[in-house]
Formats: sequence, structure tokens, C-alpha cells
Amino acid sequence: MTDEPIIEARGLTKIFPGGIVALDRFTLIVRRGEVVVIIGPSGSGKSTFLRCLNGLEEVDDGAIVIDGIPLDHHRRNRLLIRQEVGMVFQSFNLFPHMTVRENIDLAQIHVRRKSHAQAAQTTMALLAKVGITEKADRYPHELSGGQQQRVAIARALAMNPKVMLFDEATSALDPEMIGEVLEVMRALATEGMTMVVVTHEMGFAREVGDRIVFMEAGRIVEEAPTGGFFGTPQQERTKAFLSQIL
Amino acid sequence: MTADMNGPFHQRAARMSTLIDCGKFLLLAGLAVWLLALGTRGLGYQWQWYRVPRFLLVAQGGNWTAGPLLQGLWVTLQISALSLACTLALGLAAALLRLSASFTARALARGYLELIRNTPLLIQIFFVYFVLSPVLDIGAFASAVLALSLFEGAYAAEILRAGIVSIHRGQWEAAHSLGLGVLDTYRHVILPQALRRVLPPLAGQGISLIKDSSLVSTIAIYDLTMQGQRIVAETFLAFEIWFTVAAIYLVMTFGLSFAVRALEHRMNGAPHVRIGGIA
Repeated sequence: MTDEPIIEARGLTKIFPGGIVALDRFTLIVRRGEVVVIIGPSGSGKSTFLRCLNGLEEVDDGAIVIDGIPLDHHRRNRLLIRQEVGMVFQSFNLFPHMTVRENIDLAQIHVRRKSHAQAAQTTMALLAKVGITEKADRYPHELSGGQQQRVAIARALAMNPKVMLFDEATSALDPEMIGEVLEVMRALATEGMTMVVVTHEMGFAREVGDRIVFMEAGRIVEEAPTGGFFGTPQQERTKAFLSQIL
Repeated sequence: MTADMNGPFHQRAARMSTLIDCGKFLLLAGLAVWLLALGTRGLGYQWQWYRVPRFLLVAQGGNWTAGPLLQGLWVTLQISALSLACTLALGLAAALLRLSASFTARALARGYLELIRNTPLLIQIFFVYFVLSPVLDIGAFASAVLALSLFEGAYAAEILRAGIVSIHRGQWEAAHSLGLGVLDTYRHVILPQALRRVLPPLAGQGISLIKDSSLVSTIAIYDLTMQGQRIVAETFLAFEIWFTVAAIYLVMTFGLSFAVRALEHRMNGAPHVRIGGIA
């Protein structure tokens, strides 16, 4: 980890139609190589924040700069940021009409403009990394949930992103499959990938996170390095939340 | 399949139900034939089917050549095939315009759809042939293809749009998060899935197109219907010729349905459980 910031999100405000405030002047700076884990009750704006970071949601106010590129109304910048930011969804969102191999090849060929041979090489290396080379020519529906999520991680990694966002990546999985996905995420963190992880897996947060951010109602209630956060939480709200889920 | 499903009892039950099914089918077919016979007897019509074959095939010096009906069929096939291709292109363009972020594009598509779908095809054909074709400097054949494509394209556009919006938005988000632009997302992610879903209604539109193409006979194109009309005028073989013409249309449209069904099967879209079957 360095001190150089890679994600700068300042004063983000997002109000959904109907007046629900998802983000309320939310500010978070993430340093290169850092693993930030965001926790909080449902509806606290965790997912909305992640989705704003790569422009899937538009903020009503505030500024986002990723790796020096401002996320603004220029389509070019938006696409550039998306190329540098990988995202893993709760519901995998694999492309069901493509094989595992084709899922991972797609963006390499059409966004990174790699040759098919180059893409194939990267794809096989990534499949080896997430441990499912034998499923390369299967379709997503032929895979278990855990396998699908590992393919989704490989698909995001194929863009060689500088940042990875995980939006409750294990929430839709059967308990026995959560471990295999967390294992892949843990390995990524060890390699020095910058990660912003929204999760309910406190064991993972404690073990892999460098810093924990506790959110509620679109604001940060408390943020601290992992040890301090779990060891000596400062806010009453944090203590109450932790006592409920630990 | 379990061992039980292959047992003698299961086999006998399956044979029995097939037998009953065949019985029902024969009963229905017999009923239909009986009704038809009843109807034609009441008509008091002098059937002369033996005079029909010469309009299909003509023997000339020992060589068989296409009679007027088959010549008409060839024209209908050409018009239908060309129009089908243009219909898909136009329908896709209109569907994408309707889903565009631009107000002008949406208004344009909306205007096209409403205008075309709310006026009769016959009048559209007249309009294209008499008003547009001198301006565009095109003949009757091109006018026919243009009018048919414009008409069927409006319906195809709505079918395609329905397919596109039925794709879960997670697919868009996944594609966007990988840095794919809107056009690449449509091309590689959304359209392949959407087309698969709307193949059955799209095939229905194709069948309509083939049948609707009979209206081009009104602008002096010698298609299947026009040839039939001419023969009837000369020979007064009204029912024989019109039924033959209808049968030829049936073969064409059935061919199309069959091709689409085969395509659908290859894409894994066919249902695996039938109503009334074993769930």
C-alpha cells in the first residue's frame, strides 16, 4: 500500500426518486493497494456508493476522480474509468448465451482490442487462477453459484483493472460456496490489488480489510483501521451493530 | 431416467396414450372432411380439378416449364425474401431509435410506428407506388418491397423492442462495467439474447409478410395472387385456382415456420415440458 490516492470520492450526494437519500455528502479516499471494507445495515447506501464509482449510477452532487481521471459528463472519461475499475455483482450477471471462455474473452477483444490468441491466453491464465479451467467451454447455467461468481471475478480481472469493486459478492451464494469465492478475493488482496468490498462477511473483513467503513443513511458513522474498528469501536451505533452481527 | 421408467408397465402406458392420441387426431380430421364435403355439396359447384395442373407446369416440346402460377410463386418469393430482410433491418433500427436517449430519435420512431400501424397496408402500397415511386424513381417491384418493409417493419420494431427491454438490466450493468459502449453491448450482449426470445413472434410476422405480399397484385405485379386472379378471369375455375393458390401460400409459410422452429431448437429455446404432459 502507498499513500498515493487512487479513488477520491468527495461530497457524494445521491437522492433517489421518492426522496430517499442514498448518499449524503459521502467522502472516501482509497489509497493504491488498500483493501477497504464497507459494512452497514441494508439500505445504508453501500451498494449505491460502489455503483457510483464506475458510473452505473449518477451522483446528484460531488466529485469522483479515479486514477487521475474525473468521472464527469464526458463519455470518454466514463469509459476510461470503467476500463480501469472491475466490478463483481451480487447476482454474477454472467452473459448466459456465452461460454465461460467467451464471457472472459469479450471485453479483452472488443474493449482492449486484443487478438483472439492473446485474449485466449489471458483467459486460460485467469481461469487457472480462480481454479475452474475444466469449465472453460461450459455455459454459466451449467455451473454452481460459486463457480459462476469465480468466472465473474475472472471476467473483471481480464480487463487488468487497477481497482476491483465487490458488491456483496457472496450474498447470493449457498453457505458451502462462500468460502471458495472469498478464497479468490483473499488471494487478490494479497497480490496488492486495490479493493473496495461491500460485504456481510465479518470474518473476511477482519482478516483481509486494511480499513473498515461503517455506513448508515448515506453517511460514514465510523471508519478505522481494521484492528481498531473491531477492537475498540468508538461510536455507540457501531458497537450496537457489531454486537448484533458478531 | 430411472429403471422404473423403462419397465414394462411404463412402456405399455406410453403406447396406450400414443394410441389414444392418434385416435383423437383421426376423429378430428374425419370431422373436418365431413364438414367440408357437406359445405361443397350445398354449393352445387361443378369441380374441374383436372384443369388445374396445366397452370402449374406446362409441357412444351417435351420440356416442362413453369406455368403462370409457378411464375407468380417465384415473384412472390423474391418480394417476400427481400422484404423480410428489409423488415428486420428497419424494425431493428426503429426499435433502437425508440430506446434511444435522444428525444428526436424517439419521436421519429414513434411517428413512424403510429402512422404505419394505424393505416391500411393497401393504401400504403398505393401511396408508395403512385406518390413516392416517381420521386424516388423506382419501379413497381421496388415500390412493393418498400411498402411491405415499411409496414411489417413497424410491427417487427415493437417485437424487437419487447425482446430488448425484457433483458435483465444486470446484463447492461455487467457489460458497462467492463467498459463496453452502448453499441458493443447491444451487439454482443443484448441482441443475441433478445432475438432468441422473440423468435416465435418474429416468425409470425414473417408469415404475415408472405400473406400480405398478395396485396402487391394491386399495383400490377404478377405475383402468385395476380396470376391466380388472371386465370380465374379467363377460365372461371374460381375455387380450384384460389384453393391451389392458398395451398401454395401454405407451403411457403409452413416452410418458414419449420425453418424458424429448427433455428429455435438449435438455440435451446424450445420448451421441455408440455401442458398436459409429465411435469
